[in-house]
Amino acid sequence: MATKNVKNRKKLIIAIICVMIVVVLVITGVNVAGGHISNTNITYAEAATITPPQAELSSDKTQNKEEIKGHKLVAANDNYELYLKEDTLSIIVRDVKTGEIMESVVDDATELQNVNDTWKSFLQSGVVVEVQEDTNTMQKKAGVNNASVNVTYVDGGFKAKIDYPNYKFGFELEVLLYDDGSITAYIPESSIYEESDKVKIGNIYVFPMLGNTCLDEKEGYMFVPDGNGALIYLDDKEGRFDSGYTQRVYGSDIGIGESYVLSLLWDKYETHNDSENVLAPIFGMVYTDAKLGYLAVIEAGAEEATIMATPNGAYTDYNWITSSFRKSATYIQPTSNSGGSVTKVTDRIQYDIKIRYMFVNGDKANYTGLAEKYRDYLIEKGELQEKEDSFNIRLDFLGSDVENWLLSKKSVAMTTTDNIRDIYKELQSEGVNNIFSLYKGWQDGGIYDIPVTKVDTEGSIGSKSDLKKLAKDAKDMGIDFYLYTDGLRANPDTGNTTFNTVKKMDKRLYTESTYKSVYEKMVYWTPDKSVFNVNQLKDSMLDNGLNNLALSGISNTLFTYTISDTMKTRLTTEYIYKNMYENLDKDMNLVLCEPISEYWKYTDAFVDMPVSDSDFIYTDKSIPFLSIVLKGMVPMYSDYINFEANEREYFLKLVETGIYPSYYLTYEDSSKLIYTNSSDIYTSKYSTYKDRIIDTYNELKAIDDKTSGAYIVNHEILDNGVVAVTYDNGVRILVNYSDKEQTAYGETVDAMSYKVGEVQ
Amino acid sequence: MKKLAKILVTALVLIFLTTPVIVNAETPYKTYTVDGYGYVMETQTAYTPYSAITKVGETSFITPVDMSLSKSGNLYIADSGAKAILVCNLAGEEVGRIGDGILVAPTGVYVTEDETIYVADKDAGKVFVFNKDGEVIHEYGKPSSPIYGDAMAFKPIKIVANSSGTMYIICEGNMNGIVQLSPVEGGSFLGYFGTNYTSLNPFEILQRMILTDAQRAKLLSNIPSTPTNLAIDDDGLIYTVTQGDDSLSLKKLNIAGNNMLTSDPYYADLPAAVTTGKYNNILVADSDGYIYEYNEEGELLFMLGGRDDGRQRIGLCNKVEAIAVDDNDRVYLLDSDKKQIHVFEPTEFTNLLHESLELYAKGSYTQSKEPLTEVLKMNSLFDYANKAIGRAYYQEENYKEALKYARLSKDFDGYSNAFWEVRNVWIRSNLVKAVGIIILIIILIKIWKMLVKKGKFGNIVSKYEKFKNIKLVDRLKYSKFFMRHPIDGCYAVKREGKNSVLCATIILVLFIIISIIGKYYPGFLLKTVREGRYDLVTDIGKVLVIFFGLIACNYLVVTINDGEGSIKELYCAYAYCLSPYVFIKPICILVGNVLTYNEVFIIQFGNLCITVWVVVLLFLTLKEINNYSVKETIKAIFITAFTVLIMALLISILYVLCSQVIDFVITVVREVVYRIGN
Repeated sequence: MATKNVKNRKKLIIAIICVMIVVVLVITGVNVAGGHISNTNITYAEAATITPPQAELSSDKTQNKEEIKGHKLVAANDNYELYLKEDTLSIIVRDVKTGEIMESVVDDATELQNVNDTWKSFLQSGVVVEVQEDTNTMQKKAGVNNASVNVTYVDGGFKAKIDYPNYKFGFELEVLLYDDGSITAYIPESSIYEESDKVKIGNIYVFPMLGNTCLDEKEGYMFVPDGNGALIYLDDKEGRFDSGYTQRVYGSDIGIGESYVLSLLWDKYETHNDSENVLAPIFGMVYTDAKLGYLAVIEAGAEEATIMATPNGAYTDYNWITSSFRKSATYIQPTSNSGGSVTKVTDRIQYDIKIRYMFVNGDKANYTGLAEKYRDYLIEKGELQEKEDSFNIRLDFLGSDVENWLLSKKSVAMTTTDNIRDIYKELQSEGVNNIFSLYKGWQDGGIYDIPVTKVDTEGSIGSKSDLKKLAKDAKDMGIDFYLYTDGLRANPDTGNTTFNTVKKMDKRLYTESTYKSVYEKMVYWTPDKSVFNVNQLKDSMLDNGLNNLALSGISNTLFTYTISDTMKTRLTTEYIYKNMYENLDKDMNLVLCEPISEYWKYTDAFVDMPVSDSDFIYTDKSIPFLSIVLKGMVPMYSDYINFEANEREYFLKLVETGIYPSYYLTYEDSSKLIYTNSSDIYTSKYSTYKDRIIDTYNELKAIDDKTSGAYIVNHEILDNGVVAVTYDNGVRILVNYSDKEQTAYGETVDAMSYKVGEVQ
Repeated sequence: MKKLAKILVTALVLIFLTTPVIVNAETPYKTYTVDGYGYVMETQTAYTPYSAITKVGETSFITPVDMSLSKSGNLYIADSGAKAILVCNLAGEEVGRIGDGILVAPTGVYVTEDETIYVADKDAGKVFVFNKDGEVIHEYGKPSSPIYGDAMAFKPIKIVANSSGTMYIICEGNMNGIVQLSPVEGGSFLGYFGTNYTSLNPFEILQRMILTDAQRAKLLSNIPSTPTNLAIDDDGLIYTVTQGDDSLSLKKLNIAGNNMLTSDPYYADLPAAVTTGKYNNILVADSDGYIYEYNEEGELLFMLGGRDDGRQRIGLCNKVEAIAVDDNDRVYLLDSDKKQIHVFEPTEFTNLLHESLELYAKGSYTQSKEPLTEVLKMNSLFDYANKAIGRAYYQEENYKEALKYARLSKDFDGYSNAFWEVRNVWIRSNLVKAVGIIILIIILIKIWKMLVKKGKFGNIVSKYEKFKNIKLVDRLKYSKFFMRHPIDGCYAVKREGKNSVLCATIILVLFIIISIIGKYYPGFLLKTVREGRYDLVTDIGKVLVIFFGLIACNYLVVTINDGEGSIKELYCAYAYCLSPYVFIKPICILVGNVLTYNEVFIIQFGNLCITVWVVVLLFLTLKEINNYSVKETIKAIFITAFTVLIMALLISILYVLCSQVIDFVITVVREVVYRIGN
């Protein structure tokens, strides 16, 4: 009897061990079952290709030139001169014609007396490293004064070898001046070394103080790529701010938890709207009085960069704008359910760092000048091609969603294929001819039954042949009709998400709360799986003669993740998506929702273009920077007007920015959606919007007839609340946002109205 | 181009000098409203951030703690750090400064229509009254009246005054209520006003009964909370907010000090201040930066805003102390942490809603339909708008539309009224038809019976007889007998073998089906669950667990108490006991669908009948099946109840143990993952 018991117990123990091993294997992501797809393994060098610059290097004209503030001339061209002071790696850029300069360090000894040592070193260094010591979450700033610097001069600039003997790491920086007036700063990954196990490079700042000003000593502004664009004036902020604008390029990283406070209302509702993502890796500084400025474009390493614009009063009395590059980061690894955890540091994130500072002067020293510079830059690099940009009104339709019903889900059909055809016919008979449409929630199971890997319609909105017929009819009517899907998210309730879903650095599955009732959680596909899914969908669509596809999610989300314990960086993520777009663009008409600048060349239209900025306390003015860059190049469509509380104001914003209007429509009343995950769509019924669509269309179409295909060459915000936008074909639009009649350029504009005229 | 640049530069210079004109962006916060079920949903932004006042003229705020807006459009800001009242216009330009050298720590300020300024000074222990020019005209210290209490300190923190000069003062540490002071005779104490009451939950009552005096003294004292802030409207009604009073945190007090609002489930967690707008709308500011707007009846219209928590975006607050609304419906929030006044501007959407609010309150229902329709065009689910438009249609005697909107907004009273009218119309037009059909049916039945008697349908009748004699059908029919004769029924179950398990199961299944139908389709007015919400697994599970759990416990009890029932007999008999429900409830459900609130008592009566009948049956069954006396039966019932308790306890202990084991396994696995990861 006793032996039997012991035997049983042994069996039990073996069984438990087996179960645990299986669980461990599954969790650590080892292939024990099918469903895995192979993952891309690439090095940073393969992922990031830096296009060589087109312009010539500036010749060395160092002879017989005076020093400026201890800086020696190292390179010059007809417009600009580059000076260097070796010990601090400080550079000065001088406008040859006017003699105005921009400095990269602070050298005012009296001012610096009030600054503590950490910041003093920061203010006085051309390069600053934030040192990651052990797992310390507070990183120490180390300027060049902690390092030994060896400068060698090369054609067009210099190379500096920077070694930090205390921390046993170092790297090389190469700075070059080109004839087109741009300066590049380059830190190749291959030059970086870290010899200590405990001490690593946390973040690197390159010329953090380039163009800095003290309080209101100069007039001008810093440009930050918040939303469509925003300015921070170089006026005296009187100590109002204790921090500055700090945003990660291309959005935050879900893989390495950037902690934030989540305060929910009634413990349930998230009341905050996220701020706009940084869509392009750019920032700028302009002195409007000295007529000198630059636009900085991060050419390499943008994925890991954070743009920081700090007005005076926050930390120091200086205004400065820069980007910091993350080379390693700390994260929390939980070890128990009850909150036990350890802090860990990632391996070094491998990538080259390269920033191009494109200088502007004279009449171009303003934000329109910067935008033009950026447009030319993108065109020259092939990152932007002129697309067919004719005026359309965007009418998106929601096909169906689901609600809980009995033991399963019930489809809630909102707009059938026949409804859409009828709506098109009705609108075209009213003169609304140019329509651009995304059809959402057409797939079997409704909008949140994702991923979509084949053309299979939700029965309640029509059959597959109905959908094909609609697509064909739309084409005949001259309507751009796209099928939409989210390529990033996976719904754990509708499909198998055990494999190929994103695990964060701490090897935990990433889940996203929807704060809705039907499906409460979403997870992300790994980039390779996303590509796999999208390609399957592509094949299925092409088989069915459908070749217009709209994608969201993967169009603007980058993350660090782990596969079998290997860290995959945001750069890898971007590379995998980019390859997919490259192929997809050959076979299909592709539209991306709010794409990041890396994918701009693949999209036929820029959908969900922000018309404004995020309203940070330290930004002074919202400017349509991206609109100026893209107007005339790519059609841009706004966010949905339905949900705007100030319809008139929003309309004027569209007039000003040249962005085309968008509506989100359903044939049925939106009240049917209240128990679905789409309950945030509280107004969308077509019949209530029909008249407004026709009015908006006619009014904006009339303006577009005059500006079609033209570039914006000037944009000014006048003091009386009027904004003047000038196009290169001589058309000038005056928009009056004030609640009184206003006069500008000799024209009277009614309150909350606009006027289209010609430049005299 | 050069010219353009020049203009640009001058424009920039000018911009530096002017206040912000346009703020147009996605607001950093969402706006929420509720539907009739209290389902919280997003809606269009109600207020957008407009500007911020960071200083009065050249003076920055030090510790701003209260703010009052005069009719003439001046803001009076009590800055306890500056020991003065700062006065500015709505653009933030300095207008004056009051109380320098007099005030010690001004914590509350109120300005009347004629610009008399009341200041509550906590540290001075006084209330100062200033005239327009900043001269002290009155000074009130601690009331000398014995009712006030000698030991009670006078530390006024917030103050308002009505048109006759009577002051309402919130004092720190004074739990008796709002101190009401009359201006006559240097401030005579009129008594306490709007006292908050405490309530004890059953546990606390029990605790207090059992504990000794010494033990009781150690307990946290259960004293009523002092209101946090107060406001007064043009009619002299006092509004208070109290932190920690949850659904009763907002009160609208009439002259007698009685609360005129019903409790509201959408209350601010940390209310800091309250004010009223032009449309008798009530605005409450939460300390965390949320703004709640209610209509005059205290129904939530909007909820918006949020904490900044380092997001650094315009319109998010850190610690709100005071709220004010101006004539343009702009909302001012005083933030003592950010040391600024946030200004919010109503959107086009909110303006429409305010317009309808005004018209609706006036009783101009038909006119109010126009802005309401616009509001619904922008958000078709907006609860308040649906309700108001439903009532407007009702006034216009368009009952069908009224019914539709009442159902959308879950306005049960409105629905009942509209339904009564619709039904009335239906009855009037269909009465003749209905009577005709009934008469026809009666005639048909008569004819049928006559023909059967004559033997015309012998075939069918004999088949029917055969059907009646199938054992199962016979057993099912038996439930009808059981209902009326439970004692004989039980005897039959025990002795005559009338205990078909299949039959009992059929009754149980019917019971479940009917209870589900009764839950989900009892008629709109009687429905207690949300429309469109189904959870059948739990519904079925609940019935089964309770039914079988009770039988199991009961069986265990009766076996050791000389009971004679077998488990099969108990199961069958108890299932038969449910037959009154199976027979009567369907009728209740049918009738419930055509009733209004006026006749709802019929259903209530029906339900009562069912309950009583079932309970009596259960009691008799227990008694008869086990051959118990009444005393024994009651004893068995009590012991069963006790058994159920023990069982529940056992299950919960098992549950806790299991979850700990699971937690342990997860922890081990995580640890392993971590080790492997290294």
